[in-house]
Amino acid sequence: MKLSVDRITKQYKNKIAVDRVSFELTEGVTGLLGANGAGKTTLMRMMSGILAPTSGEIRADGIPALAENYRAMLGYLPQDFGYYPEFTAREFVEYMAALKGIEKRKARRKTEELLEMVGLSDVAKKKIKTFSGGMKQRVGIAQALLNNPKILILDEPTAGLDPKERVRFRTLIEELGKDSIVLLSTHIVSDIEHIADRLIMMREGCIVWKGSQNEISCDLEEFYLEKYEDLLVEA
Amino acid sequence: MDLEKTYDKIYRYVYFKINNRSIAEDITQETFLRFISKKGDFHDSDIRYLYTIARNLCIDEYRRVKPEPLTDEINHSVVDSDNTENRLLVKQALEKLPVEDQELLLLRYVNEESVNTMSKTLGISRFALYRRLKNAEEKLRLNLEVEE
Amino acid sequence: MNKKELKAMLNDAFYAPEPEEKQSFLKSFPPRRITMVEFLLQQISYIRISSWIVFLAIVAVAIFGSAFGIGMTEDIVTMIMPFSVAVAMVEVNRSRKYNMAELEMSTRFSLRSVVFARMVILGIVSIIILAISSPVIAGTFGGKALQVAVRVLIPYLITMIICLRVERSTLGRGNGYISVVIAGAMALFISCADSYTPAIIACYRELLADWGLLMVIALFAIAFYEQWKTVKTMEAFA
Repeated sequence: MKLSVDRITKQYKNKIAVDRVSFELTEGVTGLLGANGAGKTTLMRMMSGILAPTSGEIRADGIPALAENYRAMLGYLPQDFGYYPEFTAREFVEYMAALKGIEKRKARRKTEELLEMVGLSDVAKKKIKTFSGGMKQRVGIAQALLNNPKILILDEPTAGLDPKERVRFRTLIEELGKDSIVLLSTHIVSDIEHIADRLIMMREGCIVWKGSQNEISCDLEEFYLEKYEDLLVEA
Repeated sequence: MDLEKTYDKIYRYVYFKINNRSIAEDITQETFLRFISKKGDFHDSDIRYLYTIARNLCIDEYRRVKPEPLTDEINHSVVDSDNTENRLLVKQALEKLPVEDQELLLLRYVNEESVNTMSKTLGISRFALYRRLKNAEEKLRLNLEVEE
Repeated sequence: MNKKELKAMLNDAFYAPEPEEKQSFLKSFPPRRITMVEFLLQQISYIRISSWIVFLAIVAVAIFGSAFGIGMTEDIVTMIMPFSVAVAMVEVNRSRKYNMAELEMSTRFSLRSVVFARMVILGIVSIIILAISSPVIAGTFGGKALQVAVRVLIPYLITMIICLRVERSTLGRGNGYISVVIAGAMALFISCADSYTPAIIACYRELLADWGLLMVIALFAIAFYEQWKTVKTMEAFA
């Protein structure tokens, strides 16, 4: 599968959040790096079909991002999400399954499977509002995987996770990258250092660097900072 | 229909007949593709057609490669160690049953198909199926006792 | 050896190595088709019990009021029907209130379909309430069921139109319960008009006898248009 982002721009009244960004993704893990406010979230929202770009096109094997068929193969974890206060972890995931058009019995099985995978089976019956940040984030990851997404977009997925959870999460992402397109954003270089095949670095709505991690000979963190220093000097 | 679960069931069924992962998986996928090219969509009751297609594909496969039975590099025994001995015993007891009886037990107790689905798949009455199942269970029990 | 042991034993004996291409193969299938009815039924289960209680209460008032011959029954029903609008609005707006909207927009059935489904369900429920209450009231206190329905519907539809408009405005976005306030104001207005300006009310009722149905149809059209606009604004992510 090929996911192509073609000259995407998002302009708000007086601010360009994403400025003519183009790239192509195939199966594998891609890291989207950039400081807060670099336009990562706006870009990911457009790639998740929930925000229409001002101009440009996003298509996966020809299917436009705003179509139902696109969303049917999408898993999305927003940077910040809420939940209905009465929901337990299980109810939340099952509700998302319903919206993803998954049949009831399958939804139930998948929910148990995923809650098990993110290590929340024993608290499946507890209300999400009693959860810690890391637990809530794991519920979010579980819902994103419900429909075996071909395209998985994760906005700051490691936020709130403790070191042990981070390690487990990295293994999971690596596994998913084998037959899905995974795009994950972060501002923490070490999160993607070993799992991302490709990197996209953003600053002020533009891509400052994209390529495979092999192309970077030095330390990734160093390389990343260097890219940003350059820009500062130019500015 | 829960496609993932159905995939597992058909795959297990074919693997039982073919004993080779990659061929079993090819046949499983071919089964799904043939079904969908005819019917277009999956419904719960369609599982019996899938079994029928799978069985026919297995027969074709037997015909194609008759002489040497294809077996995986005996990976059964290496998977988990504490159960290996027991599993081997059950396997031996099972293999003494006619293949038809083994098939019944697989469908009923591993794939957890209903008596209704099974009788339709196999084209026999529910009563006959019930009797054959009981019979197969009894034989297995006896074989196990002998082994022990 | 019981059935459970037999199952476990056979599961073990009929061991098959994990399939390797399952996920990638199954992903190549198109998504399952789902009918609108199936989706609506699914959404019904996600409407909260408290909302159902409000709806039930309205029907209960109509039935018990009539059974005990309480003369105010129709007025009370007219006054509390706007609250069913409020309940519906709160129900529909929960996505935004609890920050679920972004997630709901990214799923196959996007937020728009969810909002639409909830509106359809709650609309049908309101019609059912009306279909039960009006004949009961008309049967007890005299008059035609249709006339009772018209008298109940007009403030109900006006409340709905105001609520939809306000909810879309910036004022409504910040306040999840603004609809309740609007419904309360409407109820208060009806009750005041009933007590202090009986002459005007009498005039209004006479007018309704001739033009009521037409007014209801017009208000329905406006309400429908407002609903459509609300669903449409769900496209834009704020």
